[in-house]
Amino acid sequence: MSQGTWGPPALTLVAVAVLWELAVDLFRIPEYLLPPPSGIAAAMGADWRYLLLHTWVTTKEVLLGFALAVAVGIPTAMAIVYSKHLERALYPLLVASQSVPKIAIAPLLIFWAGIGTLPKVLVAFLISFFPIIIDTVAGLRSVEPEMLHLARSMGAGEVKIFLKIRFPTALPNLFAGLKVAVTLAVVGAIVGEFIQADQGLGYALLQANAVLNTKLGFAAIIVLAAVGIALFVIVDVIERRLIPWHASRRSDLAAGTL
Amino acid sequence: MPAILGMLSGEKFVEVSDVVRVFPTPEGPVRALDGVSFDVREGEFLSIVGPSGCGKSTLAMLIAGLMRPTSGVLAVAGRTVDRPQTSLGIVFQNPVLLAWRSALDNVLLQVEMRGQDPRRHRERALELLNSVGLEGFERRLPHELSGGMKQRVAICRALIHDPPLLLMDEPFGALDALTRDQMTLDIQSICARGGKTVLFITHSITEAVFLSDRIIVMTPRPGRVDTILDVKLPRPRRLAVRDDLQFAAHAREIRDRFMAHGVLRDIDATPRERVP
Repeated sequence: MSQGTWGPPALTLVAVAVLWELAVDLFRIPEYLLPPPSGIAAAMGADWRYLLLHTWVTTKEVLLGFALAVAVGIPTAMAIVYSKHLERALYPLLVASQSVPKIAIAPLLIFWAGIGTLPKVLVAFLISFFPIIIDTVAGLRSVEPEMLHLARSMGAGEVKIFLKIRFPTALPNLFAGLKVAVTLAVVGAIVGEFIQADQGLGYALLQANAVLNTKLGFAAIIVLAAVGIALFVIVDVIERRLIPWHASRRSDLAAGTL
Repeated sequence: MPAILGMLSGEKFVEVSDVVRVFPTPEGPVRALDGVSFDVREGEFLSIVGPSGCGKSTLAMLIAGLMRPTSGVLAVAGRTVDRPQTSLGIVFQNPVLLAWRSALDNVLLQVEMRGQDPRRHRERALELLNSVGLEGFERRLPHELSGGMKQRVAICRALIHDPPLLLMDEPFGALDALTRDQMTLDIQSICARGGKTVLFITHSITEAVFLSDRIIVMTPRPGRVDTILDVKLPRPRRLAVRDDLQFAAHAREIRDRFMAHGVLRDIDATPRERVP
């Protein structure tokens, strides 16, 4: 999170924008095919109210879908870890269900849940809850067996073992899952909006494309990327606050996750 | 109640009678322990040495009540072991510290899990950490400690509740040779102070002879008691005792048992064995 990690990618972005600007100018590429960065920036400035409105709609869908995925995913993971029967009956199906492309189910969800926010929330939920389950299960299982033996020799019950040992041990994995999930939730909301919507960034993108307003389309994509990155960073910051012992160890291995 | 009588006379703190433990595996049942019987007397330091896979660790798990025997009986302090034992301290080869807790808080986990107020045990925890040379490291997180330091924290965690029995399952197995030597000395002084009954599991002949009052030599799988050996070396023992003739004689005795079972094969034995 230091300047060291932000600086180089920012420089790369600036360099790409400059080259892009020059190339569009040099080769006289028509604006409806590829607008220059300056044109996209101008479109963002001119239509910021419009973009903000749709950003809010999409962000709301993403957050609701993600929250639902957390609320369903973590208890499901706990149930799978604590019940051999559930693990056998449910886990293989959950894994197998991942071969079904969620996008293929999206039209059905729209059909069932009608129009409005709910179907987009459901697509965001469906696409993002799986990594939460898988990573939480992995995390809860990552407790060393010796640690559990020790806990039992200390006379501790299952609840205490969960609260003091299992759950904190699972947090690094859990957060890895949350980071993947929050990014996927953005994809889910957009897919939902592509199928049917009258607001949201996915809708704005389709509208702009339909009238060959490529500048506005690009602007929507950039805002969308910004939303995804912002949500990821928020999860990352919470992770660093909550499990600094892990973040400090991790920074030796990989120079940040962004 | 012969067991209680035994305790009073300083004997038979742990009783292992004809214990068999079979593990089911995809290739069929594996007999890890095959009729093991021995006692650990109160206050003595008993080592179990044996090759890998002889069921030494299984024995520790059985005595701790963390695993049930297939047949046979185990008793600690006169009571049959039928559930996880709580009046003991356990040290594994892996220190298993909680990554988010400081050295001090890892030691205090023991009392927290027992539902006691950790603040009441802070003093003693600090004392213990000081006694193993961790003064100034109380606030460090495990990833800031060396392997030897982590294992010292684990030992303090096993002692904070002052248990009468200490189970150590290859506690120095992951440490370098110099650290092992130092830890061996530290364990000796810790155990001398507390008057604890110690069951020490190792595959190091040197460690076993250095630390023990008695040594049980196990056979390769299926594990059986091969020999029980009394170590007649005065205490406290310095590292130099390892150059002593008596020490060498004990070590040889164990080594000979391993050779008899083919666990160790000396160079001159190899060509002869190849002759049909």
